[in-house]
Amino acid sequence: MPFNQKPQTFNAKINEVTIGSGEKAIKIGGENVFPLYSFDAPIENAPKVGVEITDMGFENACAGIKDYYAGCATIADMAKKASEMEGADFVALSLEGGDPNGENKSVEELVALVKEVAAAVDCPLVVEGSKNVEKDGELLTKVAEALQGKNAVVMPAKEENYKAVGAAAGLAYDQIVGCESAVDINLAKQLNVMTTKLGVKSESIIMNVGTATVGYGYEYVVSTMDRIKGAALSQDDAMLQMPIITPVSSETWGVKESVASEEDMPEWGPAEERGISMEVMTAAADLAAGSNAVILRHPQSVATISKMIKELV
Amino acid sequence: MAKFVIIGERISATAPSINKALAERDPEPILKRAKQQLDAGATYLDVNIGPAENDGEDIMKWAVQLLQGEFNNVPLALDTANKKAIEAGISVYNRSKGKPIVNSADAAGRIEYVDLAAANDAIVIALCNGEGIAKDNDERMMYCQTLLERGMEHGMDPADLWFDPLFLVTKGMQDKQMDILECIKMFSDMGLNSTGGLSNNSNGMPKHIRPIMDAAMVAMCMMQGLTSAIVNPNDLRLMETIKSCDVIKNNTLYADSYLEI
Amino acid sequence: MALSGIQIFKMTPKKNCKECGSPTCMAFSMKVAQGAVDISACPYMSEEALAQLSEATAPPMKTIKVGTGDAEYTLGGETVLFRHEKTFVSRPRYAVALCSCMDAAAVDAKIAEIGKVDYDRIGERMHVEMIYVNYADNGQDAYVDIVKKAAATGKTLVLGCSDVEVAKAALEVCKDGKPVLNGANASNYEAMNEVATAAGVVLGVGGADLNEIYDTVAALEKAGNKNLVIDATGADIKTTFANAVQIRRAAIKDGDRTFGYPAIVNVAKVAMDDKYMQEALASVFTMKYGSIIVMQEMTYAEALPLFGLRQNVFTDPQKPMKVEPGIYPINGGDADSICLTTVDFALTYFVVSGELERSGVPCNLLISDAGGLSVLTAWAAGKLSSTTVADFIKEQVEGKINCRKLVIPGKVAVLKGDIEAKLPGWEVIVGPTEAVQLVKFLKDLTA
Repeated sequence: MPFNQKPQTFNAKINEVTIGSGEKAIKIGGENVFPLYSFDAPIENAPKVGVEITDMGFENACAGIKDYYAGCATIADMAKKASEMEGADFVALSLEGGDPNGENKSVEELVALVKEVAAAVDCPLVVEGSKNVEKDGELLTKVAEALQGKNAVVMPAKEENYKAVGAAAGLAYDQIVGCESAVDINLAKQLNVMTTKLGVKSESIIMNVGTATVGYGYEYVVSTMDRIKGAALSQDDAMLQMPIITPVSSETWGVKESVASEEDMPEWGPAEERGISMEVMTAAADLAAGSNAVILRHPQSVATISKMIKELV
Repeated sequence: MAKFVIIGERISATAPSINKALAERDPEPILKRAKQQLDAGATYLDVNIGPAENDGEDIMKWAVQLLQGEFNNVPLALDTANKKAIEAGISVYNRSKGKPIVNSADAAGRIEYVDLAAANDAIVIALCNGEGIAKDNDERMMYCQTLLERGMEHGMDPADLWFDPLFLVTKGMQDKQMDILECIKMFSDMGLNSTGGLSNNSNGMPKHIRPIMDAAMVAMCMMQGLTSAIVNPNDLRLMETIKSCDVIKNNTLYADSYLEI
Repeated sequence: MALSGIQIFKMTPKKNCKECGSPTCMAFSMKVAQGAVDISACPYMSEEALAQLSEATAPPMKTIKVGTGDAEYTLGGETVLFRHEKTFVSRPRYAVALCSCMDAAAVDAKIAEIGKVDYDRIGERMHVEMIYVNYADNGQDAYVDIVKKAAATGKTLVLGCSDVEVAKAALEVCKDGKPVLNGANASNYEAMNEVATAAGVVLGVGGADLNEIYDTVAALEKAGNKNLVIDATGADIKTTFANAVQIRRAAIKDGDRTFGYPAIVNVAKVAMDDKYMQEALASVFTMKYGSIIVMQEMTYAEALPLFGLRQNVFTDPQKPMKVEPGIYPINGGDADSICLTTVDFALTYFVVSGELERSGVPCNLLISDAGGLSVLTAWAAGKLSSTTVADFIKEQVEGKINCRKLVIPGKVAVLKGDIEAKLPGWEVIVGPTEAVQLVKFLKDLTA
């Protein structure tokens, strides 16, 4: 008696969202099966990999990242280089320098940078804010305006500023809104509801439902994503059918395992290898849990994860 | 658990305007009521064309194509005493949003509706009734068994038989209401799906009372495991109660705006 | 897994004879499902139906034990596909691969490398638990030699060997350690079954595809062996993932007990010599349904993320992860360094200690018993109060630490006055509300 194979497909599916414009535009979502279960039904849009750069440059990064961008005079040069990385589907520009508790760069300066970067790359673009909700309310509104016609992702729209960010990015300037909640499934849903109520089309919304490095409370990430995909597919919950984007590198390159020097932890071996492994394994786990796109930094991680996706889907 | 399935009851030949529209093949009144129900959160729409002895096949085909064409293949419950009309409706039915529901079979004269559903891979509402109203739950379960066996004999998945305990009017049969609730619990314990014309319980009550009674009834029924009901989705109080119960039962994820979606 | 009324009903005679005391077979089935009546009350249940019932009430996935003593591990026994539905019970175990094709020096080097990763994380020992010894068809002696060396490490072995005679010889030197013999397939399972059964070890079953594996498992079960694991490794990465998921899903969701066994996933085989791909896959199979995961290497680079991931995913959602209460010196903190306190919830500890490390400021992190709850939850529950903090410091800190400065979490700033009242001589400083602000806070404080 042969094995009775029971493919698990759903009548519901994840929304298909197009990011970017022109030849290099990408699509994420659209599947009616659990993450990476291409044996149940074809997954037309494989998960995508983005390369993260920041307005702060990579002065303190490991050699592998610094070497890759060697010779780049400007952030725009780095963006172009990032878009050429093996396995890269899009570029993510983090505006962390805008944080009032950090460098506190002005909105004008950052928007000018965003424009330069947008002009330098022809691939889809994701712009991540300063992580300060007040600043982002203003900053991301201007970013959305500056990127008209690019169909870029502007994130994060959070509970505190979704009205400003959502209305500018999703309504006024036709970008994709990235709604962010921190491993809170009810808030993830609520943000989608409220953003939709603003008038933003659900095909213009993606979500970052929270992330962590493996080992750091990662079980909450797993269960949040498991439950979201479960509700989206088996309960046909339209307010959870937005594709998930997960910034991985900003988390993984900050933890002790990636940061501690080899002098301090001789038995651990070279820090760069540890950093790559943290990034690769966290990204792989995110994809297995349900991310439709991940954002990474190290060229080795980008190459490995994009190859893994090609092997699996 | 799956979300409670709301079958909108307002396209019914018992309403004079709908009856007239069906007879004259006038889309306007039918589409209007359909849209109101869908906007309010109905999953399925019941299409009751009355006995339709003469031109039932034609009416049902027309109604199915009209509604599915206008509302993105909305799933429908086909409701008539004319079996051929139901078959005709299914022949033009698009199942992309859900199987058709045959409304309805019972354990006596209309048991062949089960066969009809089986032959057409449809869901059937199985009324646990014989000749006359069942006197107690032993009798209801006897009918339930008869209907279930009939379906299984014809190769149906038990999940496609939605058992109807037959809601009884409270004014007059108040002492039977707890039996109905207990019967729903039995269906649920058996792992069976259930549905029914829930608002029958408030028949004959003053108009302003009915939504209150229906909301209380649906909450108690959902507690007992009722999985669907044929109701008026434009009854706001009732719909709010159903949505709230769906959250409490963990059938749907809570969000602050859950009543608005 | 309990049977539903409908499943029981299908096995009844459906004749409503009332001999069981219920008016209908339907009513009877319902009572059996509720546990109110025993199935034996029906005189007409067939033997076959009864056997089917007892089979159906068995757990969906078998629990298989491998190894002995400290190196004994429990695999399988899962009842859900997603951890939030209940909990996962048996964490996957990681094996590093050796091969009879390796020369002696390479084998020794690998064994030495495997031993290096050994550390503690939140009360759990993290190390490579298993060694996978692959047979490369190059003669019995070479293989047995390597098996001997591997067995000497005390780690639990998985013998990847489908040659019956060689397997038998290898088991002679290692069977006391209760290894897994991973070598049964459609063509050799009868002989392999004898070898594994005689040695009293778990048998691993592989095959060209799921159907072949399924048939072979069924045949072995028929022969009386239910002490099995399934080798889900396919020809490539995609097939391997498809196999691992479908095997587990068939067992848990569809109740197909033939696939109710733990799975071996050999990522070393499907991504040979691609270290980073193996890392990515080990992560994926830790999430989705590997029970023994075989890799080519496990240095700290692999171990730190992988063991952390496993510890997270296999935490019981009902029980918070806790760290031991005590004094944790950071950045070379000593008796004169400033003290900071927070709760014993593992996530809080990791986030706070990580930020403290980033600050570079020598300090002592004081962790008191707060029931494994986060700061505000513990405060609300009375598990983080001026009394708990003061008592902890008097009993466990004052004798060891000279510094009398204590930073408390900003979220419980209200405790400042009470703690100072209960701890004469201490200066209590209110810290930031979020851990990310600690670096700046500490730098400013000690500047």
